[in-house]
Amino acid sequence: MSLLNRTAGALYRRPRLRLSLLLTAPLLWLAVLYLGSLSVLFVSAFWTTDSFTSEVVKVWSTDNFHELFTVPVYRQVILRSIGVALAVTVLCAVIAFPLAFYTARVAKPRRRPLLVVAILTPLWASYLVKVYAWRLILSQGGLADWMLKPFGLSGPGFGLPATVLTLTYLWLPYMVLPIHTALEQLPANLLDASADLGARAGRTFRSVVLPMVLPSVAAGSIFTFSLSLGDYITVQIVGGKTQLIGNLVYSNIELNLPMAAALGTVPVVVIVVYLLAMRRTGALSSL
Amino acid sequence: MEGIAIQLRDLRKSFGDTTAVAGVDLEIKDGEFFSMLGPSGSGKTTVLRMIAGFESPTGGTVELAGQDVTGLAPFERDVHTVFQDYALFPHMTVEANVAYGLKVRGVPKTERLARARTALAEVRLEGYGTRRPAQLSGGQRQRVALARALVGRPRVLLLDEPLGALDLKLREQMQVELKALQREVGITFVFVTHDQEEALTMSDRIAVFDQGRIQQVGTPAEVYERPATPFVASFVGTSNLLEGESAERIVGTPGTYSIRPEKIRVLKDSAEPDDPDHESPDHESPDRDTPDQESPDHESAAGTVAEVVYLGDSTRFLVDLDAGGRLTALQQNLETSAEDVAAYRGSRVRLQWHRRHTVHVPDPR
Amino acid sequence: MRLTPTLKAVAAVATLVLAATACGSSGSTGSSSGGLNPPDLKAQSKLGKSEGEVNLIAWAGYVEDGSNDPKVNWVSDFEKQTGCQVNSKVAASSDEMVKLMKTGEYDAVSASGDASLRLIASGDAAPVNTSLVPNYKDIFPDLKLQAWNSVKGKAYGIPHGRGANLLMYNTQKVTPAPTSWSAVFDDASKYKGHVTAYDSPIYIADAALYLKATKPELKIKDPYALDQKQFDAAVALLKKQNADIGEYWSDYLKEISAFKSGDSVVGTTWQVIANLTADEGTKIKAFVPKEGSTGWSDTWMISAKAKHPNCAYQWLDWIVSPKVNAQVAEYFGEAPANSKACAETSDKNFCTTYHAADTAYWKNIAFWNTPIQQCLDGRTDVKCVPYAKWVQAWTEIKG
Repeated sequence: MSLLNRTAGALYRRPRLRLSLLLTAPLLWLAVLYLGSLSVLFVSAFWTTDSFTSEVVKVWSTDNFHELFTVPVYRQVILRSIGVALAVTVLCAVIAFPLAFYTARVAKPRRRPLLVVAILTPLWASYLVKVYAWRLILSQGGLADWMLKPFGLSGPGFGLPATVLTLTYLWLPYMVLPIHTALEQLPANLLDASADLGARAGRTFRSVVLPMVLPSVAAGSIFTFSLSLGDYITVQIVGGKTQLIGNLVYSNIELNLPMAAALGTVPVVVIVVYLLAMRRTGALSSL
Repeated sequence: MEGIAIQLRDLRKSFGDTTAVAGVDLEIKDGEFFSMLGPSGSGKTTVLRMIAGFESPTGGTVELAGQDVTGLAPFERDVHTVFQDYALFPHMTVEANVAYGLKVRGVPKTERLARARTALAEVRLEGYGTRRPAQLSGGQRQRVALARALVGRPRVLLLDEPLGALDLKLREQMQVELKALQREVGITFVFVTHDQEEALTMSDRIAVFDQGRIQQVGTPAEVYERPATPFVASFVGTSNLLEGESAERIVGTPGTYSIRPEKIRVLKDSAEPDDPDHESPDHESPDRDTPDQESPDHESAAGTVAEVVYLGDSTRFLVDLDAGGRLTALQQNLETSAEDVAAYRGSRVRLQWHRRHTVHVPDPR
Repeated sequence: MRLTPTLKAVAAVATLVLAATACGSSGSTGSSSGGLNPPDLKAQSKLGKSEGEVNLIAWAGYVEDGSNDPKVNWVSDFEKQTGCQVNSKVAASSDEMVKLMKTGEYDAVSASGDASLRLIASGDAAPVNTSLVPNYKDIFPDLKLQAWNSVKGKAYGIPHGRGANLLMYNTQKVTPAPTSWSAVFDDASKYKGHVTAYDSPIYIADAALYLKATKPELKIKDPYALDQKQFDAAVALLKKQNADIGEYWSDYLKEISAFKSGDSVVGTTWQVIANLTADEGTKIKAFVPKEGSTGWSDTWMISAKAKHPNCAYQWLDWIVSPKVNAQVAEYFGEAPANSKACAETSDKNFCTTYHAADTAYWKNIAFWNTPIQQCLDGRTDVKCVPYAKWVQAWTEIKG
């Protein structure tokens, strides 16, 4: 007991000691496991592979990055992946905004928690189950075809549009939640003030609501963008013959680890650039 | 000048089962500094929000300059509001905040910026235009809100407890400034507050609210000197009521009477029996004036000092009357010191005031 | 603002790692393309005492001890009879098998043709003394001493089973019935968006096989030995095919569902997939087209560094024994390697369905092999395109 008290007292008097004891484990995790593996990834991208045995040869070379920029297919796949991630992000934002506006400001306050739970429910289902469900919906004669038939249309089938659609479905909650929170926390009297100064609803939305919720949209977009950029399973299931950067990493991981590492650094770099861009909008503080 | 800015007729508002405003009739003149005073939950803010158009009334009408605006949206009314917590747009600069209303109405950029600067100058915030609201102090934000509401020169300015978040010093300073500004721009101000002192200082007229109804409308002097109901008497100024038996014994007729504490003089009671254990504390009374003994113009009551509160510039005496009940008397500390007044605790005194300060308060019941 | 120190930390760690690897790299080997001059290793001459355990690397479904399905178990009896405790590691790809074998911690592996040569060339697999495997004599002769399991007449493993890559089509939607691989190449546009193909670089050999028959001027002899010109022609054909592909498949459940829904109507398949698809009620047919076909044949090989070679030899004999070989073949869906296994299958038609004994059928099958720089078809005047380039080309084909 007294030993415990003495220790507690000693810790109380030495805030630095307390802090370092508290932070040692997480910092170690961050530095060694997280940043360590990232840097190993980056370093191994500069190695090469024995073409016959697929063994990694630890000889310094920038060939992989050179290939990355000169082989057209890599550039094409990288651009396609970024395009998919952006399309998913834009779609998510466009769908999430009215949805969140309803759950945060229009719906009866009593029902709001329920609606939020409803939006989160898909997150409880297994990723694969959801994607395979979309495979069924989008397959020939599936739900999408059946619903579009009366209009003389057919579903998108498997391919790039199906991938964007499915990823949008998968990551939508990550966009709805921050926007919902921002809209919920938006002070009501700011809307009153805008109306009071003569602004109609549309103007209030453009000039007050949108700019104030934008950081949260950006925060949500960090999720949707990076999750989409890293995904390679959805595209395998509903993407038809589409290849994204994750598929290239996957197909290279056994045979050409350094190339896979070089490909793997691309999304890391893209996301860092994206984060830096989003930081300007104040998104990081709304996470 | 004598036009009617705002006319409320039997205005009502209920939220579900609770009645916030239970029938308000009110007329506010052009160019008036009009205060709506009342405790929280008395309905004053709801009335203000119905004038602005943020709430639609359950019954009754709102007229602005003779026009019925009951069904109109806030942006269709020539009324601007200064909100309690200012409601400045945090993502805009001070200048953009002030110019917002002009921008919405399509005023060209150069003109609206010039007008915004002028408005900022009016509230003594020149050079703050490029800052964000978060970089300003509370008083500065308050002034930005004022400039934003005034720049469009509305017919009526509504102020919802605008000084509530400021500290005492700043509040007093702003009260003076606000009054001066109102006189300068000549716009009708409708000022909501729960601070009776603030209402008394600034207003041309005051409406005292309680439980969704107006208790009294009048000039500060009328409300203070001639409270129309016991509620007004107790809410405006310190409560000092004589009721029932003690009222009959002191005033002569039954009823409810209000006497303002500063009108009462505290005299050492000469009729006090000499007690060796209880030595008379002082030969001087707090008030050096020699009392007019039993003047026909005066009323008086004997009692025992229950508590003495030293307030610095004055002292408050709480006296339990022999006739029953308790009165508070306020005396300027012209000569007396803290020790002097403290000695009064427990001693016998006689309270005296001029007959005309005994105000009969009609009981609405 | 927050990122800057983080980036600095990354740079610092990276510098450290770089320094460490710079020191280490001098010791590592940097062999270029191997070629088929395997190290001169001796096969074991006789069996010694059992070591009490054996460590195996296998495809899923090859070493079943009842833990996946209590009815599927051919390991327990082996352990009882030999006293060799079986530890098995399931590998997901040929490349993983190669990698695991290099650790030297495993005794035997069920290698496919695209891994076996690599193991032989690198000296990780030892020659096998077939006389120590009594059941070897019953193995179908056309599986013995083949290009993917032997070098210069020396056996490096015991054949386990085989299968062909078939052309499957929906009999209701694809008319007239195809007879040639042209259904998925030159005539694929007829079913644009509903053609499927196996998602692996080795599929380039399927295009080469088709070109071997249709473009004799390319002089393709072996679809796994392509010089640059032949290779380019195959890649060009596949790029053209890509426009008509609906999706590539690697997961066989995905192919079954695509055929069932009609998203795919024609493409490559395996016998087991064709059977399952037909079982689901889809009207399909799967066959070997007139050009022949590619296929796969797996071989049990013994590690040159095996710590338990005696148990490993006993396992090799056990897995190709008629009864067990029949069990594995039926469970996995392939043709057994042991001729006597056909008498042991629970489905009496099994061997007929899978053409186990049909020598003529297998004559037309070009089993998977590892493409290497030295042409496998014996040409010495040109260099062939190695597998690494196939991998890259496959990425480009899919675009």
